[in-house]
Parts: sequence; structure tokens; C-alpha cells
Amino acid sequence: MNKVTKISYCAFIYAFLYIPIIILVIYSFNNAEYSLVWHGFTLEWYRHLWQDNDLQLVTMHSLAVGVLAASTATLLGTIAAVSLYRYQFFGKKILHSLLFILIVSPDIVMAISLLILFSALKINLGFWTLLLSHITFCLPFVAVTVYGRLIGFDKNIFEAARDLGAHDFTIFRKIIVPLLWPAIIAGWLLSFTLSLDDVIISFFVTGPEYNILPLQIFSMVRLGVKPEINALCTVLFVITLFIVCVSQLALSKNKRGVNA
Amino acid sequence: MLRKLTFKNFSIGSIWLWLAIFALIPNLLVLLTSLVEQGDTELIRLQLTFAHYSNLLDSVYLRIFARSIFIALEVTFICLLLGYPFAFILARLRLSERMKSLLLLLVIIPFWTSSLIRTYAIVIILKAKGILNTCLLHLGLIDQPLQLLYTNTAAVIGLIYALLPFMILPLYANIEKLDSRLLDVARDLGANSWQILWKILLPLTLPGIIAGSTLVLLPAMSLFYISNILGGAKTMLIGNLIENQFLAARNWPMGSAVSVVLTLLMALMLLAYNKSRDNNVETDLL
Amino acid sequence: MKKILCALLVALSAITHANSTPTLNIYNWSEYLPDDVLAQFQQETGIHVNYSTYDSNETLYAKLKANPEAGYDIVVPSTYFVDRMIREKMLIPLDKTKLVHFNNLNPALLNKNFDPYNNYSIPYLSSSTGIAYNDNYFTKGSITRWTDLWQQRFSGQLLILDDVREVFSMALLSLNDSPNSTDPQQIANAYATLVTLLPNVKLFNDEAVKAIYIDDDATVGMAWSGDIYLANHANSHIQFVYPQDGYIIALDSIAIPKNAPHLANAYAFINFVLRADIAARISQATGYMSPNAAAVALLPAAIRNNPIIYPDQATLKRGIFQTDAKDASALYEKYLERLKIRA
Repeated sequence: MNKVTKISYCAFIYAFLYIPIIILVIYSFNNAEYSLVWHGFTLEWYRHLWQDNDLQLVTMHSLAVGVLAASTATLLGTIAAVSLYRYQFFGKKILHSLLFILIVSPDIVMAISLLILFSALKINLGFWTLLLSHITFCLPFVAVTVYGRLIGFDKNIFEAARDLGAHDFTIFRKIIVPLLWPAIIAGWLLSFTLSLDDVIISFFVTGPEYNILPLQIFSMVRLGVKPEINALCTVLFVITLFIVCVSQLALSKNKRGVNA
Repeated sequence: MLRKLTFKNFSIGSIWLWLAIFALIPNLLVLLTSLVEQGDTELIRLQLTFAHYSNLLDSVYLRIFARSIFIALEVTFICLLLGYPFAFILARLRLSERMKSLLLLLVIIPFWTSSLIRTYAIVIILKAKGILNTCLLHLGLIDQPLQLLYTNTAAVIGLIYALLPFMILPLYANIEKLDSRLLDVARDLGANSWQILWKILLPLTLPGIIAGSTLVLLPAMSLFYISNILGGAKTMLIGNLIENQFLAARNWPMGSAVSVVLTLLMALMLLAYNKSRDNNVETDLL
Repeated sequence: MKKILCALLVALSAITHANSTPTLNIYNWSEYLPDDVLAQFQQETGIHVNYSTYDSNETLYAKLKANPEAGYDIVVPSTYFVDRMIREKMLIPLDKTKLVHFNNLNPALLNKNFDPYNNYSIPYLSSSTGIAYNDNYFTKGSITRWTDLWQQRFSGQLLILDDVREVFSMALLSLNDSPNSTDPQQIANAYATLVTLLPNVKLFNDEAVKAIYIDDDATVGMAWSGDIYLANHANSHIQFVYPQDGYIIALDSIAIPKNAPHLANAYAFINFVLRADIAARISQATGYMSPNAAAVALLPAAIRNNPIIYPDQATLKRGIFQTDAKDASALYEKYLERLKIRA
């Protein structure tokens, strides 16, 4: 492949990924309550959004659960992948199967079984049940991604390190984590994405006092996609882009950034 | 020595504990539920039965399974076709690490927007008075609006759009560590592009392909709201079937049975795949 | 790290905030209670409301069933779910002496078969399932009954509501059977007649139905009156028909689930929404029919006389309330699965 083909192919994929987003942004200015055809420009929906404290609170809830769940799931998922790769232990096969089942399980099945579990454990529905559930369904996605990178690394590296006197934790921190870094980031991103987008499991495991964005959007869409939701998504999207750009700029100042 | 034991045991212990509570127990509940009778007012009656499994042999359910698997495979294959070259090019770009992770981040950012809302954005594009038809009409390429919405094609496009990053990210993580000198050596030794692809690239990046395909295939089996919105809900897929059993029909045992069968079926597919491969290749996580 | 801490603080503050003031946990359909009405309730009573929404009776039911102590004080199930939830002892009998505005309610919508003495449920809003069509595509008045939908001119054009009971109600009514039938033979016949309808079906849908009719993506099919009332404002060519062969009235009722933690506040809320002025505002904002007769009297004539939300008495008489299909639910579901695998 020559360079032009390569670049245009990448551009094509990015276009595929971003065109719906651009449409969504444009339609947040659409002057129609329910219609999905262009009816003229308005800023009305942003005014609505500004006044809707509920939606803002719910968004904060979602971000909180997303960040916490993705981070914990990444930690646990990485540990799971490394343990399954390096160690022999009791019930290894069972752990493999459990991770597999977690990915396959349809949302509704996981949702209801977790709800019954929380009910049996007498945990009040709300923030904590939501967080525990999100960590659980993100975990296998991290494990699969990290394991995919782990396979094929020469196991002798770890043996050599141990021969040189490194403890397991040191090996994990100094050798494994840096080697796995791209996969760990990928796993975190996948988890955060899954958490921000989950409707069915969240619906069942959250309580009256803790509502999150996907649920709000889901029930609003039920009655028709109002441009107000588009406006909210646009604002979130712009903030995300802004944070990404700023962090990139900040990182370029010290060369060994965390993403490197 | 003590510290080594601690870390190893800590790792295994914590992951075991987590999965035992949040995966093992709930799934045992599902399995048990699938083996009891549907209750009248109490949802289940504690009476052992295999009826839910034998009911599944009904040709209606077999067809629902077959159709779901076919669509999921189709989506996985197209995602792989689209995602592999992309992940490969991205991983091989002669850019700084930071630039690359930025490009990778750009892949995932659209997905931080509600998938429901993005699916409706696709509706805006495809609908009869939608953007695509308006453009084509203006360009004079068509004189009647195309009926794209509420077709299988629309459903497949939506699924691909929703699942593509789940293919790209694991592939990237895998391809990125590939030693590029291998490719140079192969080329120096006279291998052509096809040979490099078949003999070197694909075998070496197989773990990434498997990881990505798993993450696309499995959710594609149970993601149904996308095909409902874009495809017009004219077909029932396994996801709908299970949800309807749990919600509309209130038949939790039957819903559980379908879910158990789905899990076993997927496990069999992966097992068959693992068996068919060389034994000297390390097994995948799943 | 800072981000995580901030997030944690937000999360914790939300939790503690809720515990310090008198609280009411409402679980309702989305956009079923205007924001300003909710704000006024909180202001007048000093009760802090946690308002969450659900999208279908089925999910509400499954959630309360799997975790009876979910903590909700007010739920708003529809007719046949009230029936089912009463039978399964999921609702608390209401103390009517505490309901000061109960007499505001339209007697025509009380004491129905799903809750004969309204001991458990208070009618909140109502909507009907009928036929919608676009008069740019089909002559006005050419569609009057469900059986019309089987005509060949609608080939590949119908929007069918994606809800098992709605689909079968339509078929049963077209065959002059009860939409609440539990007779396997009648249900089998309904299935057979639905199979013959399939060539006319363009899509099944149960969300965002308005947009589909407004933008001409579907020009004829089933619809809920509330949706079409709102859609009609955006596109005046959309007409609504109350079919001659009968139709389903959905009545969503306020009920208090078992184990509700804030009983007194729940009664305060019910009394608030039963007030004529409040019920009128709710009906006006949502586009659904209010079962509150005193409220209807307060509505502007344009709404009160709009045949889409407030049909005349003769039309109302044809309406039928849904009851729980009990054991037949599984049968309905089974036929829907068959139907959809044929499509």
C-alpha cells in the first residue's frame, strides 16, 4: 500500500465514525420538537438544557460511575489476565469460563441476576450497586484485550527478572504493566465506553436516588428524540474533545507523558 | 519470598472473590432458574423440569438462533475486514507514541456519546427524507427516494458502526507489538505481499483477531435495539427472545434456558475453533 | 486522580443530600409529569422528590418483582399491570379517606374490571390505541376500522406497534373477539389473520412513533392517541381514527408499591395531582386525556374539544380496558415469536 491509499483509508474510517456525530451536532440546532428532518436553526434546545438541572446532575453521576468503574475494572481485568497467563492455580478453568459467560450473557439476564443478588445481600440500590455491576460487566473486556497482548511475549523475560531477584509485584509494576500499557489504555477506554452506554443493567440495579444519563436518554427517546438530547450530547462531545486536546498539549510539554 | 506469595495470592484471591460473587453466584441462579417451572404469582415454582430446554428444540427457536448467529457472523466479518487494515496502518505509522494514542483515542471518542442517539443519527441519514436521499436527489443520481431504512442492510450498518471499535482496539494492541523487522526480512527474502499477509501477519496477529472477533461477535448476538430501530424489528433475534421471555411473557425460567443455551453454543464454537488450531500456539483467554 | 476524587464527592453529596430532607421517590413514565408541576409540589410541601422514569410496564414489574424493596413510593402502571400487581400483592390498598380530591375523577373511568373498587389505583392519564394515517397519501375517511388495514393498497406500508398485546388486540378486534381473550383457539385465529397482514407491514416500532409519522417514513398504521395529538401539531396531515370495531384504552394509574418507605408523602403527592388545576396542567403538557373531570372543565376549549385526546361519549363507549392475560401471556408471546420469524 502506498501512503496516499493508507491515509485515505484511515480518513474513510474516521469519516464513518464521525459522520453520525456531526449529524447529531447539526440536529441539536434543529427547530423541530420531534421531526428528524431539518426545519431551520434555533438555539432553543441549548436554553432548555441550561435550565435542566436534572440532566446536569444525571450527567455528573454517569461520569462518576464511568470513571470509577473503568478504572477499577481495568485494574482487576489486568490482574486477572496476568494471573491467568502466569500462574497455575485452583479453579483456573472456572475463571476462564466465568469471564466468557460475562461477555456472552445478554444484558437482561445479567441485570436481573445481579438485582436478585443485591436483593439477597440486602444492599440498597443506588450508587454502589451501580458501580459494582458496571465493574463486573467491564472486567472481561479488559481481560480479553490485555490477554490478547500478553500472549506471545516471551515468558523468559519474567523468569529472567525473577532470577535477577525481582519480586512478583516488582515484575508486575516494572515489566508487565509497561509492556501492556497500550492494551491497558485500550481496556480502560472500552470500559468507560461500555459504562457510559449501558441502559438495561443500570436500569435494574440502580435505585430511586441515583439516576444516570443513559437511563434518562433511554426514557426520553421512548417518546421521540428531542433535540435537547442532541444538544446535551453535543456539549459532552465538545467538552471531551476539549479535555483531550488540552491534555495532549500539556503532555507535549513533558516528553514522557503517561500515554507514551 | 513472602512478598511474592502475597502478590500472587492477592491477585488470584481478589479476582476469584470478585468473579465468585458477581459472576458465579448470579449465573448459578440463572442455571437453577432454567431448571424449574414457571410459577403463577411467584415467577418460579421449585419443581425440577427440563421442559424449557426441550421446548427450545421447536423449529421457531432453532430459526431464531440460526438467524442471530448468521447476522452476528456477518457483522464480525465485516468489522474485521474494515478494522484490520485500519489497526495495521495506525500501528505502523511513523509517528510518536503520543500521536498514535491520540489517533486511537479519536476512534473511541464518538462512542462516548449514547449509542441510542448515534443510532438515531443514522436514522436521520437513511430515512426517506433523510440526508443521503436528499443529496442523491439533488445530484440527480436517483429520482425516487431510496427505501433504506427498515431493511436488513440498515440494521447491519448500524451494528457495524456500534461494534467497530471493539474490533479495532484489541487488534491495535496486538499489532502494535509486532516486530516490524520480521516483515522487512520476509520482503528481503522475496516474499510477496500476499505471502507476507497469509504466512506472517495473520498467524502472528491471530490472538488480536480472536480477541477482537470475540468482543464483536458475542455482543452482536444479543444487541437488538439497533436492529429494532434501523431494521424495523421485523425479525426476532436471540436478544429480543430472551428479553421478551423475561419481560413480556414473564417466563423467567424459559428466558434463563435460552440464555444458558446461548452461552453453551458460543462456548462450543470457541472450543471447536481452539481444537482446530495447532496445539503449539498458546490458547486464548476465552 | 483528581477527577476521580471530584466524581466521588459528587456521588457522595448526592447520597447524603437525599437523606437529610423529607423525601418522595417517584417512578413514572418519562415526560409524564411536567417539570414545573414537580417543582411546585416540592415548593408547596417541602418534600424532596427523586424522580426516575421507566419505559414499559414490563420493566417496572420485573424490577419490583426481583427486588421488592427497591424503595419507590409512587408507581404508575397501566391497566392490566394494576390487575396483575394487585393479584400478586405488590401494591398497598389505598386509604381513600386520605384522598381529598378523589371526587374530581370522572366516574366513567372508575371501578373498571382491572381494579373494581379503585382500592389500589387512582387514574392518572389515559390514551387509546387507534389508527393513524397521512391524508396526503390516503383519502380522508377511507380508513375507519382495523379490518381496513388488511387491504392490498397498504402493501409494505404499515407501522405496527411493537407490543405483543397491542398487536393481538388489533387482530382479535378485527375478528370481533375480545382483545382480552385467553381462549387458545381465538388467539390461534388471531395469529392466522396476522400472518395475512405481514405483507402490508413496513415496520414494528414502539418508540419515537411520532417522528416516523411526522416525517412520512410511515404513512399509515397503529398509533397511540397521545402521540398523534402531538404529531398533529407538527404535521397537520396526520389523522387519528378510533376504529369502529373497537379499540384499547390504556389507563395509567397511580399506585403505591408494597414496602414504600415514605407513605405519608406518597399521599401528599396523590392529593396534589388530583387537584383540578394541577391535573389540567398535566393533561395539557403531555397531550394525554385526563380522567379528572374537574380538570377537563378547566382546559381551554381547543383542547377539551380536540377529538384526538377527548373523543365524544359514543366513541368512548367502544373503548375496552386491557386485563391481564394470565396464563395466556406465554401463548401470546409464542405466537409473536412465530409471527416475527416469518416476517
